[in-house]
Amino acid sequence: MLPESVNAVKTDIKVRVKFSKTGSLKFISHLDLNRTMQSAFLRSKLPVWYSEGFNPHPRVAFTPPLSVGVSSLTEFMDFKMVEEVEPETIVERLNASFPAGLRASLCYAPKAHFRDIKWSLYEIKFELSGKAPENIEEKTKAALSADEIFIEKYSKKGEPKVVNIAQGIRFCSSSLDGNVFTVNVKLSCDEMAFVNPKYIAEVLEKAMPECFAGAENEVCRMEVYLADGETLFS
Amino acid sequence: MKIPESILKQVEKPGRYTGGEWGEVIKDPESVDVRFAFCFPDTYEIGMSNLGIRILYNILNEREDVWCERGYAPWADMEEKLREHNLPLCSIESGTPLSEFDFVGFSLQYELCYTNMLNMLDLGGIELESAKRANDAPIVVCGGPCTYNSEPFADFADICLIGEGEDELPELMDIYKKHKAMGFDRAAFLREVSHHQSMYVPSLYDVEYNEDGTIKSFTPKFPNVPAKVQKRIVKDMDKAPFPKNLVMPFIQTVQDRIVLEVYRGCIRGCRFCQAGMVYRPVREKTPEVLNEQAKILADATGYSEISLSSLSISDYSCIEKLTDELLSWTDDRKISLNLPSLRVDSFTKELMDKISTIRTGGITFAPEAGTQRLRDVINKNVEKADLLRACRVAFEGGKTQVKLYFMQGLPTETDEDLEGINELAESVIDEFYATPGRPKKSPQVTLSTACFIPKPFTPFQWEAQCDLEELQRKQKYLMGKVMNRKIKYNYHDAKVSRIEAIFARGDRKLCRVLLEAAKRGIRLDGWEEFFDYDKWMEVFADLGIDPAFYANREFGEEEILPWDNIDIGVTKAFLLRERHKAYEEKTTPNCRLQCSGCGANKLGGERSCCPKA
Repeated sequence: MLPESVNAVKTDIKVRVKFSKTGSLKFISHLDLNRTMQSAFLRSKLPVWYSEGFNPHPRVAFTPPLSVGVSSLTEFMDFKMVEEVEPETIVERLNASFPAGLRASLCYAPKAHFRDIKWSLYEIKFELSGKAPENIEEKTKAALSADEIFIEKYSKKGEPKVVNIAQGIRFCSSSLDGNVFTVNVKLSCDEMAFVNPKYIAEVLEKAMPECFAGAENEVCRMEVYLADGETLFS
Repeated sequence: MKIPESILKQVEKPGRYTGGEWGEVIKDPESVDVRFAFCFPDTYEIGMSNLGIRILYNILNEREDVWCERGYAPWADMEEKLREHNLPLCSIESGTPLSEFDFVGFSLQYELCYTNMLNMLDLGGIELESAKRANDAPIVVCGGPCTYNSEPFADFADICLIGEGEDELPELMDIYKKHKAMGFDRAAFLREVSHHQSMYVPSLYDVEYNEDGTIKSFTPKFPNVPAKVQKRIVKDMDKAPFPKNLVMPFIQTVQDRIVLEVYRGCIRGCRFCQAGMVYRPVREKTPEVLNEQAKILADATGYSEISLSSLSISDYSCIEKLTDELLSWTDDRKISLNLPSLRVDSFTKELMDKISTIRTGGITFAPEAGTQRLRDVINKNVEKADLLRACRVAFEGGKTQVKLYFMQGLPTETDEDLEGINELAESVIDEFYATPGRPKKSPQVTLSTACFIPKPFTPFQWEAQCDLEELQRKQKYLMGKVMNRKIKYNYHDAKVSRIEAIFARGDRKLCRVLLEAAKRGIRLDGWEEFFDYDKWMEVFADLGIDPAFYANREFGEEEILPWDNIDIGVTKAFLLRERHKAYEEKTTPNCRLQCSGCGANKLGGERSCCPKA
């Protein structure tokens, strides 16, 4: 009889790591993030489980992909280990192997499924391109809380399609500091109703072109939530 | 100043420009004496794959007094943004404009990147012509294989470093520091540099031409400037610095693996091959040192593949021992071994098993020519039987795909030789079906042909390249011969090869052509979507320079060649001897069987197979 490989015996040590992706990492696509993780795993020498076969690789699952250019304080990834390692040690060794811009903060055994993540809270910081109207906060709230918010999406074939994304937007708060205007908004990351944060800039530009036209913005995912949009995913 | 995020959001693959990778070296600019921008005149993905730069980046940064950063050619979309917003080309690490560095270094790996170098200088805010650079402008220093004939870009380089840079570059840093401390005078600095071995300062030489355009004389402007510049080598490869840390790109690059340099040089001496001549003498590393270095790199990088690099890996004298030692730990670490550049005559089942445990897919060999006669002319020293035996080993090991590399337009080539390429492919297919225990799938042979380019410092340096029409006719001819659906035929664009041939054997008159090409926006020539042959021909026509003089002319054996001022160790007499033997269809045994007296042994070198000079 063939000896069973070590991997085959213990593949059930599932691990979830919470991490942030900031700085130059925000310009790294999901695919490249995956590659970066694979090399970080090898550097960390953690006993990560590898698939069998000609091209062994760790199987890593991530939270819904971020758009390129968007940073995040709340990302999760799941992978399997072949040996128990203290959560603190995992965090420590990953951080020692991560490039600047990736930072692990927590590690634990996963409970909820990634597919239950339905909402993301984004912080969008605009550098306004013109003088803000007095009631910019009210106008923002109105623009993002309307029942019908139409934007033009492009299908994979490149055909424009007008879509109502109002159901996928939950306005939270906003604040103005000098010419920096910050909007906190929850956006759907449900597969069927996904709202890209870039649409918020489009909607606000339509509402207040005098200060949003050509305004630079920085987007950061702050938290992810379950279907009710209130319960934090963990 | 880093590139604004608003621009990064608008370009393809912003990861090319952001930096922040694992292994990147950040220093306090105030804490160093010398700032060096190591530039690769092509895109990030290609530049990040270059082992030479990775080695030198480490050597420079290990010094506390130097900060070496990286720079790459921006893709067209980024270039457009930089020009639109009037932003200079900057280093990756600190976002410093190229014009603010003490040194801007270029690694020139292929002729088609010359225009990228000029474009990068222009984007970086540096005068293209060295004569026009101010005293405090960056020193533009070129290295890499193209510097063996630096003449086509002689007007743009302040210094060309000939040969291997491991010792050269630190030495150059020391000279610079000394001059900086004395109150820097560019002319005095360059004069002193020229006194050091392998440091070629083109501006210190006068070139005169004959009426027919060939070189009449090549003379140093001052008595103590050497008439010949001798290349530098690392004598003991075991002691050569190797990068203990690599910058790990976020985005996929061409060479996305650990490249373990096993030895330098090549024992073979194929007559078309420049690398086989300019990297002589052969110098090996010991398996112990290589194994140790591989472990360090695996720890430091997290790469999952090690590629054993050399000009012909199966010629390494300790290949068995090395692969055994590596395999004793790589499998456990989920690291696969990759052996490129295999020769058919030394490809064995044992070797095959070592690589096939991990990877499936095809196998590649380079017979280079279709008939034994022509293989003898080029001194390939490989027989059809060797190829078929090697293929059988591959088929027995479960492979079904074989890729074969050839050259077209070689000296003395006839249509019969071209036909031989197809016949060889047919024989490989036949061999597949004659192999008991072959895989159940159907076989596939891919023929890939490049056009012969006469290169400086090869026995074929005097040969003419076939003219464009003939190169294209040869491609069509072979296409017409390939009938078997199991054989695929790919070939390189002959127009690209012609431009390469022009610059490979170019002289200083071509500097004008490059300057004009840069003005007309010619760049990224290595990319099909940008290469524009007609635009190049317009430049030549408008300047009244005949490209055929360089590409399609047989150079005279008595002629002063543009690169005669460089001494690579291998003598011109040897190259000439080899040329004549080629025409007699006589081969030369490899260096291990018998010394052919090329002259490179005068440079010394440990673990070479040369007799002591």
